[in-house]
Amino acid sequence: MDIQIAKEEKAHILTLSGKLDGVTAPAYEQRVMALLEAVPCSLIIDFASLDYISSAGLRALLATAKRIKLKGAQFHCANVTGTVREIFDISGFSSILRMHDSVAGALAAIG
Amino acid sequence: MQTTKSIARTFTLIVSVCTVLIFSVAIGSFYHRSRVALEQEVANNAAHLVLASINRVETTLHAIGKVAEDTSRSLEIAGYHDQSLTTLLKETLRDNRDIHGFGAAFDPNPAFNPPHPVVPYYFRQGERLVFAPEDNFQHLSQDWYQIPKELGQMAWSEPSFDKASGTILMTSCSVPIFSDNGREKQVRGVVVADVSLEWLTELVASIRVLDTGYSFLLSRNGTFLTHPDRDLIMNETIFSLAESRHKPDLREIGRKMVLGESGFVAYTNIHDVSTLMYYAPVPSTGWTLAVVFPEAELYADVRNLTLVVAGIALAGILLLTAAVYWVARRVTAPLGALAEATEAIASGHFDTELPAVKSSDEVGKLTLAFTAMTGALKKYIRNLTETTAAKERIQSELKMATDIQASLLPQLFPAFPDRPEFDIHAAMDPAKEVGGDFYDFFFIDPTNLCFLMADVADKGVPAALYMMVAKILLKTEGQRLGEPEQILSRVNEILAADNDSCMFTTVFCAILNTENGEVRFANAGHNAPVLISGGQAEFLSIRAGFVLGPIAETVYTAERITLEPGDVLFLYTDGITEAKSRSEELYGEERLLQTLQTASRQELAEMIRTVRAEVFRHADGAPQSDDVTMLAIKYRGMAARNP
Repeated sequence: MDIQIAKEEKAHILTLSGKLDGVTAPAYEQRVMALLEAVPCSLIIDFASLDYISSAGLRALLATAKRIKLKGAQFHCANVTGTVREIFDISGFSSILRMHDSVAGALAAIG
Repeated sequence: MQTTKSIARTFTLIVSVCTVLIFSVAIGSFYHRSRVALEQEVANNAAHLVLASINRVETTLHAIGKVAEDTSRSLEIAGYHDQSLTTLLKETLRDNRDIHGFGAAFDPNPAFNPPHPVVPYYFRQGERLVFAPEDNFQHLSQDWYQIPKELGQMAWSEPSFDKASGTILMTSCSVPIFSDNGREKQVRGVVVADVSLEWLTELVASIRVLDTGYSFLLSRNGTFLTHPDRDLIMNETIFSLAESRHKPDLREIGRKMVLGESGFVAYTNIHDVSTLMYYAPVPSTGWTLAVVFPEAELYADVRNLTLVVAGIALAGILLLTAAVYWVARRVTAPLGALAEATEAIASGHFDTELPAVKSSDEVGKLTLAFTAMTGALKKYIRNLTETTAAKERIQSELKMATDIQASLLPQLFPAFPDRPEFDIHAAMDPAKEVGGDFYDFFFIDPTNLCFLMADVADKGVPAALYMMVAKILLKTEGQRLGEPEQILSRVNEILAADNDSCMFTTVFCAILNTENGEVRFANAGHNAPVLISGGQAEFLSIRAGFVLGPIAETVYTAERITLEPGDVLFLYTDGITEAKSRSEELYGEERLLQTLQTASRQELAEMIRTVRAEVFRHADGAPQSDDVTMLAIKYRGMAARNP
């Protein structure tokens, strides 16, 4: 898995690619937690190039979303499609997390 | 030890080769320079020797010429009668021991007032002086008389053997006697001094350079006057010799000699030996004195000295080689010992004693470093052993945990042999580690059977612990509350409290009314079950619902379907649909539906075995990454109860 972090005015945008599973989830969690410790900010996760997410990945997403909420910031998901979307739907994550069709849409939602 | 040898050998070889090269260059240079210096020295010496000898010859010849000249002048100035003339000649001869015979020869022309005898002449015979006058006028036609008379000055004749014995080489110095009658100077006669060249032969023979060097004297026209080879004397000229022996360079040298030049030349002599020669002219007679010495002998000393030096150098190199080899061995021997010891260590014998450190040099340091390394290795291996043991312990504990986990699930089938109106069957194949899948079924009351399928996020010990809690909660709350949406809401509330890590579990929870086949169910983010009805398998369309655990206030909704007798509800976890083949291809939902449809008429146990076999066939040996868990329930209807 690869994580790209881009800083926008209102939020950090994390672009995930590859797989977010039991092996890679700890790295993701560590990265995001470190980022939040440094700059408490809203976060938009771009799922466009993520191929797969496992239950461990979902757990890590939830944990970071919860932490952001505690910091008083917002957690948004963008471009959740394909297999990952199915998993989101089955597990009910689509109804819990704020989903957007694009990063721009997510940014607009924060504004 | 091979390495030790090779280091010592290489080192020794390099040092030896370098030394040999250095010595070769030094000795070669020494030999060459010595030759040059020696050649220079010899040339100088030869020149000195030759010039000194020439000087001696010249002095003697000059003295003789002076005697003849003085006598001639006396005869010109004073008038001598016959008696006093012979006395003068006799006395003069007596006083000059270098002269063999002394006399005067006069023109018989009465105008010149010749004495009688016309050629008064004395010669030595032992200690006696013999008077041998001549009156036959033969002298008038001879060179020794003719040449000085014609030239009007002193002349030395070409040497020749004496007439008496034919063995003594003689030459004559003739000085003209002038008569001045006031009008013109005329030659009245000649004073002649015969000189034996025996002394000259001895003198020249005494000029020796080295052991086999020799000297020779050439006359004005190149005839050998003296030479160690007596056959050459008066018989050969240098030109005849050059001609007969085909030595053009010798002829060239002879030409220069006759021209009165001097020089130092290298040439190959008549015996084909490389030879050096110095020659210089004797000015008064026009002769040439030459000193010859063979090159081989000249350089013999240099060669011998060079050989001695080379010998010493060779001995030195051998000694040096031995010393270097000894030192190299001494230096590398501890390395060899160390190498042996480390080989033993490398093969696992960590208690092998390393050689004692005797010095603080590199080998000593290396040994110390190895000792430290061995210690560190031992410690590391001990740690590793301990860690491995600890890991094994954890592994065995995990295995036990897996067993405990499995034992918590109902595994005895048929589970309810006394309830023919339904059939239920389940199976779980855990992945290697303890996993988070579980299923359960229990009666809430005699008509309501609760059955559920759950999948805890992630794997390993945290998931297993969470699974235990979730399973117990679901059963206790299930038995207490009796409605699926209430059970999920309640358990969610309990789990969500203090769940910072956001662990969660998906649960599909359902309750079958065994009397009418109605199934009430609620879903917390679990995969939709498959309904097999009338030979058709299809996914049940259900609400998703959020997973259990992370958020306290999650609301779950109850849904319901009614199973007709023969209908089967198949619950499973994503361990089935996400089972991977070797080529990473997922088993997928379509395959699952097809398999279930094919197995729709089978008994539940058979159906579950079929699905399991299909999933493992698809995996084809690829490692199982998740638990494979499934549960099937078939409603037979009340009719089955009362046949």
